[in-house]
Amino acid sequence: MSDFLASVDRRAFKQAVFAVHDDEAALDIVQDSMMRLAEKYHDRPAAELPLLFQRILQNAIRDYFRRSKVRSTWTTLLSNLGIRDDGDDVDPLDTLEVDDAPNVPDSPAERLEQSQVMASIEDAVKALPARQREAFMLRYWEELDVSETAKVMGCSEGSVKTHCSRATHALAKILRSKGITL
Amino acid sequence: MNENEFASKLKPWLDRGATDVGEMQATRLKSARLRAMDAHREPVRLFGLVKVNASTAQMLHYSVMQRALLFLPIAVLIAVLAVKSTQEPDFGDIDAQLLTQELPPDAFLDQDFRSWLGKPQG
Repeated sequence: MSDFLASVDRRAFKQAVFAVHDDEAALDIVQDSMMRLAEKYHDRPAAELPLLFQRILQNAIRDYFRRSKVRSTWTTLLSNLGIRDDGDDVDPLDTLEVDDAPNVPDSPAERLEQSQVMASIEDAVKALPARQREAFMLRYWEELDVSETAKVMGCSEGSVKTHCSRATHALAKILRSKGITL
Repeated sequence: MNENEFASKLKPWLDRGATDVGEMQATRLKSARLRAMDAHREPVRLFGLVKVNASTAQMLHYSVMQRALLFLPIAVLIAVLAVKSTQEPDFGDIDAQLLTQELPPDAFLDQDFRSWLGKPQG
């Protein structure tokens, strides 16, 4: 249990920050989630813990919104980032440049550039609608499969696929508009 | 580039972001983790009677120890005063015995007592 929590606490924190946009609230959410997992499921096999923890974490995030009644996080990524929707039909994934070289910064300038890219990526993730972000994070960051993601999110597998697809396209569009090469 | 390729390119960036959380946040997360681990310890019996969880038992133990440390100096002070009061001669009794001539003759042979008698009284 201890090793599991140590392996997920920072990612869980970032997930909560992406969702609630507040470090303190995110820390509280992660702490509550870890407490709940340890209290209720400490006797479960290690293989079950990731899914259980994600379910608890996502519920804790939802509870946070329910309690604070903050619905403004549902603002669209376009309005949040001030990106003009020019209505083009080009698939952003087709035009996003991908740099195959490893991203290891050598100089301070490169490190600065990378930290700016990192900030832009995180801002873009934060700007996603909550369900899209949740699906994308669970599916591609936590590497749950579609059925596990659907269980955590409490929706159908089809919805997960839709959310993931929309999230990916939205992120690609934001990054392309900022000239970011992954 | 398809969805999976895009996500696999983005994942290392997200991982790096998670590694680079601030020192304060990392400390808070560690303490939250330890608190969570503490919460799931097996319950223990307090004085063999009441079953409480480990963190509560630890808190009670700490509280008892803390009070013991607080009261220890006071208890020592009271004990010292009690011992001292039994050792000090009661000058009131001696005065009364002197006045009523009830002092044994040996008392006047005591050099210290004679010198004490010769001292001017304040």
